[in-house]
Amino acid sequence: MSRKLTVIPEECSGCSICELVCAIRHFGVNNPKKSAIRVMITYPHPVVRMPIVCSQCKKAACARVCPSDALRSIDGVVQLIKEECVSCYKCVEACPFGAIYAHEDCELPIKCDMCGGDPECVKQCPKGALRLIPEEALGESQRLNNVLSYAQMKEIEFYEKGEKKTIRYAEIGKEEL
Amino acid sequence: MSIKSGYFKKGLSVDLGSGSIERPVLSDDFIEQYIGGRGFGAKLVWDNLRKHDFKINPLGPESILVVAPGPLTGVYLPSSGKNSFAAISPATGLYGDSSMGGRFGVELRQSGIDVLSITGRATDLSILFIDNDDVKIIPMPDLKGKNCLEAEGTVKQRLGTQAIHVATIGVGGENGVRFACINTDWSRNAGRTGMGAIMGSKNLKAIAVRGDKDIPVHDVRGLVTENEKAFRYMREHKYFKMWQQEGLMNVIDYANQKGILPAYNFKDSVFARHSSINGATMLAHYKIGDSACFACPMCCGNICLVKNGKYAGTVIEGPEYESCAMLGSNLGIENFAAVLSANHLCDELGIDTISTGSIIGAVIEGYEKGILSLSDLDGREITWGNEEAILEMIRRIAHRQGIGNILANGSRGIIARWPEMDEVLLQVKGLEQSAYDSRPSMSMALAYATSDIGAHHTRAWTIAKEVEEGQNWSDEDKVDIVIYHQKVRPLFDMLGVCRLPWIELGLSERHYANFYSCVTGKEMTLDGLMSLSNDIYNLTRLINCHLGATRQDDSLPHKVWANPPLTGQNAGKVIDQHDFNRILSLYYKRRGWDEKGIPPASLEKKFDN
Repeated sequence: MSRKLTVIPEECSGCSICELVCAIRHFGVNNPKKSAIRVMITYPHPVVRMPIVCSQCKKAACARVCPSDALRSIDGVVQLIKEECVSCYKCVEACPFGAIYAHEDCELPIKCDMCGGDPECVKQCPKGALRLIPEEALGESQRLNNVLSYAQMKEIEFYEKGEKKTIRYAEIGKEEL
Repeated sequence: MSIKSGYFKKGLSVDLGSGSIERPVLSDDFIEQYIGGRGFGAKLVWDNLRKHDFKINPLGPESILVVAPGPLTGVYLPSSGKNSFAAISPATGLYGDSSMGGRFGVELRQSGIDVLSITGRATDLSILFIDNDDVKIIPMPDLKGKNCLEAEGTVKQRLGTQAIHVATIGVGGENGVRFACINTDWSRNAGRTGMGAIMGSKNLKAIAVRGDKDIPVHDVRGLVTENEKAFRYMREHKYFKMWQQEGLMNVIDYANQKGILPAYNFKDSVFARHSSINGATMLAHYKIGDSACFACPMCCGNICLVKNGKYAGTVIEGPEYESCAMLGSNLGIENFAAVLSANHLCDELGIDTISTGSIIGAVIEGYEKGILSLSDLDGREITWGNEEAILEMIRRIAHRQGIGNILANGSRGIIARWPEMDEVLLQVKGLEQSAYDSRPSMSMALAYATSDIGAHHTRAWTIAKEVEEGQNWSDEDKVDIVIYHQKVRPLFDMLGVCRLPWIELGLSERHYANFYSCVTGKEMTLDGLMSLSNDIYNLTRLINCHLGATRQDDSLPHKVWANPPLTGQNAGKVIDQHDFNRILSLYYKRRGWDEKGIPPASLEKKFDN
């Protein structure tokens, strides 16, 4: 079953632990700028903290522009075949999310490989802002939210002292405040 | 065994007057003895003082500003985003330092230097841009008058990149407000002892940094193993989630319950409406997100937004306990939105929330008591909880308008103008006291009195033990706990990490010795580190003694002797002057200083090289 790394920006605190663990795992160095994930932060309006990480696109823009066919989808992960890569960095520019990175010291672009299926960043995120979920579950929370906001406005019937009444979910408990 | 890694062994010395940029090599002896952060700061300040025969004007071009992360800054371990600023404080005229979180220090280290020192004064208002190995002083006179965030944005735009971190000063720093701070990443501040005024005196509006280098770590594998233990401990702690949610705001309820919360300029130590400015109120109505410093799982930062009312649209990273207490209960403000607005204003203007809240509290009380007349206040009445008058006063201080021109000189300046204000100002050595009432706690009183930078809780925070376990323990124990704290807490500032995982979640300080060993490759024990930290405490004491501080300066605010809190569990409590003098003598003795508080002259040799 293919699983996706997803990001919940509302949960992210911007601590960059994901960047550190990624760099340590892949390069063995303490350098957040050698990671395949970066937290982008904007303030004060709007305030957003969002980790940018590869979505492992099935029709990957990076693979499409790669002149040496070094980016290939293997088991649902877009892998960089190091031997094939010519370091032209076309993929870095082509990615619509900016999720492939470059660093002066590194010959090759830095691209998320999902740590072989068990991403270090997901394990170490102290806020649960990075999640690994089955592909089928993508969008589930949005769907559920949608249902809940519909239900909020829905009317239900109930009996009070034998009298039939209706109330909207959204209004339950309001009069007590 | 000597240092194998953990440092670039390079400094950067900039003279803004001549434009000279040097890269001194740091010797092994230097980095082993002083470690980093506040340690480097104290040493370089000491060297500069000796060079000028101890005659310097803190705001003169000869004064040195040291910017120093530590060997653990930016390293994969809990809360490693700290960076210290050190100089002779314009507020106290003595040694001063202040640290900030965020990511500025990490970026500075990644540019390949261990310490930055700045002297001289630029002809035009300038910025310093450190782009890895490329260092430039760039005049940007039109930044004048810009607030911190606006300046940060403009600098990023001019330099054509968002991928830098910028430390800026606001109007307060430009105008030499004695408690001006240095701001980075929107709202992380090095708040205390007026480091922003030092930058302002050098005509330096901002320091922008980009660094891409690997932070040297000797044993990465060992570090990861050690850190996993530390992270696991923190995550499993019963208060971990609470810290993520409320951050330091949880202290409001605690302080109120224990009767140590400042209210009405410390006239009281409980605030009847504390629940309108506490963590629960923040969570229910204002908080919209978490914010963490680098590599911190605790993320004590809160992002708050005022959604409606006259302060609608105010968005800040904050508040935390100190700001909320000093600008809230201490000024009698019970409207959380107004506290946020005052905090926001201080951040933007670049002045310290603690000192600002303390000084405005003293002004209100001074006016109440008739020490200040309405004409002293430029005809504008100011009373407890008067939000508009208080916000206006903050602006007047930063812009040095009317009475603000005197208030901006800090406690010492205020007392020089109105000697009777000494009764209502809460300050030690010229630094305003932070938001913990020391009247119910002799050890906390001792901590404030003997802190090298003035009445700040950063060196020792012993109040919790005393308000929880009562005061009935021996003088020796009280002295020892203060000295213990004065060794451990500054150690975090030397290493370049935050102390909250230790003090709040009880993460063992022994981890930090192991972290140091992994990073530098030099086997080190906690006792070894503490002894080095203690040396720095002696060094800052020596600096202060040379600058004229005496036993009389290790004193306490007038109120602590004379005016007990009116209500709450500590009503009626004051510190007895006689008891205090006895415990102070004992403290000196235990530290190996003489009866006047002067360390032995032989100690000076230690800091020669």
